[in-house]
Amino acid sequence: MPIQTKGIVAKNRKIKSLYFVIEIYCPSIVREMKPGKFIMIKISSHSNYPFLRRPFSIYKSYPQRHPEKKKRGTLLILYKVVGKGTQMMTEFKKGQKVDMIGPLGNGFTLPPLPSSANIVLIGGGVGIVSLYPLAEALGSKKLFVFIGGKTRNDILCLRDFKKLNSNIFIATEDGSQGFKGTVIDLFLSERKKFNKNEPYYLYSCGPLEMLKALAKVLKPKRFISQVSLETRMACGFGACWGCVVKTKDLKTPYQRVCKNGPVFNLEEIVWE
Amino acid sequence: MMVNATGSPDLSIKIGKIKLKNPVIVASGTFGFAEEYEDFFDLNHLGAIIPKGISLKPMVGNPSPRIFETEGGILNSIGLQNPGFEGFVKDKLPYFKKMRTHLIINFFGNTQKEYVELARRFDGTPNISGLEMNISCPNVQQCGVVFSSDPKMTYRLVCAVRKATKLTLIVKLSPNVTDISLMAKSAEDGGANAVSLVNTFRAMAINIYSRKPELGNIIGGLSGPAIKPIALRMVWEVSQRVKIPVIGMGGIMKAEDAIEFIMVGASAIQIGTANLVNPRTAIDVIDGIKKYLIQNKINRLQKLIGLF
Repeated sequence: MPIQTKGIVAKNRKIKSLYFVIEIYCPSIVREMKPGKFIMIKISSHSNYPFLRRPFSIYKSYPQRHPEKKKRGTLLILYKVVGKGTQMMTEFKKGQKVDMIGPLGNGFTLPPLPSSANIVLIGGGVGIVSLYPLAEALGSKKLFVFIGGKTRNDILCLRDFKKLNSNIFIATEDGSQGFKGTVIDLFLSERKKFNKNEPYYLYSCGPLEMLKALAKVLKPKRFISQVSLETRMACGFGACWGCVVKTKDLKTPYQRVCKNGPVFNLEEIVWE
Repeated sequence: MMVNATGSPDLSIKIGKIKLKNPVIVASGTFGFAEEYEDFFDLNHLGAIIPKGISLKPMVGNPSPRIFETEGGILNSIGLQNPGFEGFVKDKLPYFKKMRTHLIINFFGNTQKEYVELARRFDGTPNISGLEMNISCPNVQQCGVVFSSDPKMTYRLVCAVRKATKLTLIVKLSPNVTDISLMAKSAEDGGANAVSLVNTFRAMAINIYSRKPELGNIIGGLSGPAIKPIALRMVWEVSQRVKIPVIGMGGIMKAEDAIEFIMVGASAIQIGTANLVNPRTAIDVIDGIKKYLIQNKINRLQKLIGLF
């Protein structure tokens, strides 16, 4: 159930190049948070510029019983400066109030998996961020993480995934770190190493072009795949039907990314 | 907010046969089917709810992108996606049954026959207080001429729909015309109980880097605070011309905006795009109007309608 509330900024700092992490105290949203859900933030509280809220996926959240006592009730967003809205967000100061709505969307479906299940995560750019809380929640021992970006500056969450003892594969388009090429190319070259007789649960988030490329190469029976979509949104809670994606649903082909998604089964989407 | 019953100003207003407890209505296309807002406030506080526009048959809508943010507003080309009459009655209408506010249905057709058929069907459907006709749709029979752009076509269409329903009939006017007050007069002559205005302004935006339009449909409708001064002028002009109540809308973000519309002649107002930015806008507007009346020692909102 989404809540509209005023969060309080605890920290807001640059981590590298265009990437920032903001920490916001908002216990009512944190209580309801699940991997893959997102929030909408009003960047400017006193003006109509930027006009619409901005959607953000969640990097980390600390519920009431979390061992890190000081962080309880806060959530972290790892964001990239892509336009005026996110640029303005870098100026949020500690103690500042932030008008936010969340948690929104359906989130990832976590099937009851044995700890021996094979999990594959593929993230492009900031897309990898929403996969981190999922990896934590899945708690699998056989975790294969593919992280992609344009350059080494766009490779995110590396330290976090190392802590989860995952097998990490890195691809950069300019070859400045790891494999040279797209993260999907890298996944293809590594795929042969996977056991053919075991199912793989695949979760992916990234730009539409990346997900399209993934959909082209995957065999659905071997890889049970969920993808989290990134789109422009107006409201974020299902009212305007502005953020639709074309699906194979015969009755309602255009489904709302914010409400029916952002997570879809890979085979549901019409990748045109 | 004042809770004192005797000190509380009277916000009620009558539109046709509908008695609204306050003049704040949420606009079609910006409030989904209402259930999307139930987590944010008690919907019973609203004057009335107008859900997404309904056509006879389901409509799939336009391809993405459907939304683009502009300065002080948004462009949209949703394409009137809706489940159609039967889908609406089966899946969406039951939600409104227990509500203690008015449900006004926004509807549209491709032909006069479709408009009449829909009005007739909604007339026989329970729990509906009134109808709002969206006439800014291309007339398929007349090669895509928009009903709302021709006063004679507007008149004929309203006359025909009027005969098909006893429900309060509101005609929603398009601002994309030379003289909107002429269209309002045609709607009044045709038998409308009220007119609502304005719908969105036809508009577009281009991405100079991809060299493509920002909307999948190329052209969309502009709404939000960017259009407010024009909408206000149009409401004022229409109020001079017709005797039936005028429902004003166009970029209302706060109570002060709503009061401006009332002062130029609107009996009620609609909150549209603002719902998408702040889902509680309508409630804030109701509280703000009340506060304004109390501060200015006005006991009835009706005293502010059409000051000039």
